[in-house]
Amino acid sequence: MDNRGGGAGGATRMVGVSMAQATAAVGYGRSTSIRQGLAPWVFLLPTLLFFIGYQIYPIIRVIWISFTDFEFLSNEPANWVGFANYIEAINDPLMWKSLWRAALFTMMFLPGTIILPLLLAVLIDRVTQPRIATVYRVILLIPAVIPSTLVFVLWKWMYNYQVGPINHFLVEVLGIFTVYDAPQWLGGTPLTLPAIAIMEVWWGLGYHTIFFLAGLAAIPKDLPEAARIDGANEWQVFWHVVLPRLAPIMMILVVLRFGTAMAVIDEYLIFGGFNRDTPTYTWTIFMYDQAFKLGLWRQGFAAAIGMIGSVAMVFVMIFLLRIFRSRD
Amino acid sequence: MSVQAIDQPTFRTRAVAETGDPRGWFERNRGPIIRHAVINLFMIIILAPLAWVLIMSVKSRPDSMRGDFWPRKFDFTHYGYVFEKIDTLPVNMFNSIYVTLATVFLTATCAVLAGYALVHMKTRGMGIIIAVLLVSLYLPIRVVSIISIYEIQSFLDLINSTSGLILPYVTLNLAISVLIMRSMFQLVPHQMIEAARMDGAGHWRILWSIGLPLVRNGLVVIFIVNFVTAWGEYLLCSTLTNDQEVRTMPVVLAAAQGGLGQWTWPALAAVYVLVVAPGIIAFAFAQKLFFKGLAEGVVKG
Repeated sequence: MDNRGGGAGGATRMVGVSMAQATAAVGYGRSTSIRQGLAPWVFLLPTLLFFIGYQIYPIIRVIWISFTDFEFLSNEPANWVGFANYIEAINDPLMWKSLWRAALFTMMFLPGTIILPLLLAVLIDRVTQPRIATVYRVILLIPAVIPSTLVFVLWKWMYNYQVGPINHFLVEVLGIFTVYDAPQWLGGTPLTLPAIAIMEVWWGLGYHTIFFLAGLAAIPKDLPEAARIDGANEWQVFWHVVLPRLAPIMMILVVLRFGTAMAVIDEYLIFGGFNRDTPTYTWTIFMYDQAFKLGLWRQGFAAAIGMIGSVAMVFVMIFLLRIFRSRD
Repeated sequence: MSVQAIDQPTFRTRAVAETGDPRGWFERNRGPIIRHAVINLFMIIILAPLAWVLIMSVKSRPDSMRGDFWPRKFDFTHYGYVFEKIDTLPVNMFNSIYVTLATVFLTATCAVLAGYALVHMKTRGMGIIIAVLLVSLYLPIRVVSIISIYEIQSFLDLINSTSGLILPYVTLNLAISVLIMRSMFQLVPHQMIEAARMDGAGHWRILWSIGLPLVRNGLVVIFIVNFVTAWGEYLLCSTLTNDQEVRTMPVVLAAAQGGLGQWTWPALAAVYVLVVAPGIIAFAFAQKLFFKGLAEGVVKG
């Protein structure tokens, strides 16, 4: 999602599609052998136009730009510079620092966004009254229908130093802090990344739970029953019977969320800004800064930063998929 | 919370029916009680930020700075105030509605046509299309391609144009929408399409009168997914537009500094409630169809 997303990944946040599903579909329906020439391509044309125009061409173009000294505001044509942009980026300590920051955020976010929904799903799965279960499900999906920017705006206010309810709760209700040493959540403080991670976990809590609920519903009820009769306690049932069967769903969630978390940008733009020393200055912001904010608009260099960041995270994603695959 | 209100009577009636002794009832139901307590704690965490902003929008101004959850004095005038005093607000609202409806309509059209073709009009090369769509879900294309999309938009003279946003917006969820539609059309039996073909119906007719009614639930999922993305998009809108008048409402809201000038906290909260409500209300109405759609083919995992 996020898209989240849109958002951090848009719709991919909401729905997972497995690789197996695609490969299965390729060989489907051969027998009809419809020879209809152009007709299918007429149906596919709108999708292909949009997809090629705004996804495939831009990516190829960005790859090309990353090998040139392309500057959007310059009148001179771009020159091929080979790997110069890449070498400059690799030698820039900020490149590695900014990648590390994105990784740090991912490490804060990923465990919470998998484990909490899993726990909640196991609890809700045992609710037997259908009407209450429905109410729970509807509430769970409410955050998922709040558009990304509105989630960020809402939490920007929640964390607000003056009127934010979080600090009010910590100071007035719990009394852990006083007005003078209350935590400063946003604005480039060390707390900014955890604060964003908490917000993201909140946002994903509902529909990740729905995901796991779908997985739990697919487990035949007699399996855990049989284990209980054999004398297994609830923990053993969960650990040895339920969890292995949720593994495929977890695998997809981990890989997808890893992807969205490493490539977060909107949240950092809204909460962080462009100070190079702050924890939200990740590789995405580094790229955006070079492309659109700094006076130079060095888009060739920015493209190289973007490519290095993407390739690094895609390598880790492939590595993760490999690990998960080999375990089955 | 409303959840508890529904929850508790169930326990109470059962307790009375069984023994009438409240303490013994608690001992026997300890598992479910703890479970529901934990679930409800999570539900409160999910709902609390929304409840806070809703209450904030009807607080009097002094109360808004005080931080207490429940105000001492209510003030419902902020909703009228924001429309009178913040002059770009109606324009921003219109922009949001316009861009979102156009995006949802175009994406759904593309997805239905492509989904149908990918399942019921098989030809060579479609396996590759499906594979490319799938792989694109895992890549950070949205972030990296922004450099080139800026270039395309300025080539088409669409920088700082509200309508121009629609083109990249359609692509944001296109891959997932096509894949959802594809798995929906896989549920439509091949023989059904073949029979209609035998009767002389063309693909357009079949899609319109046989296909569409059968994939209705999936269409609801696509509507909601695309609505949510387009309504709240930030990166493209803030990069490709400069003036407040051409931007969408959430982007303006994200730039507003709380507590300053016309943006008093209750005014901000009132705008927020107006912007977030359509999605939640639409979801509430479509909720049954949405869950059916999810169950039918989307969360195959």
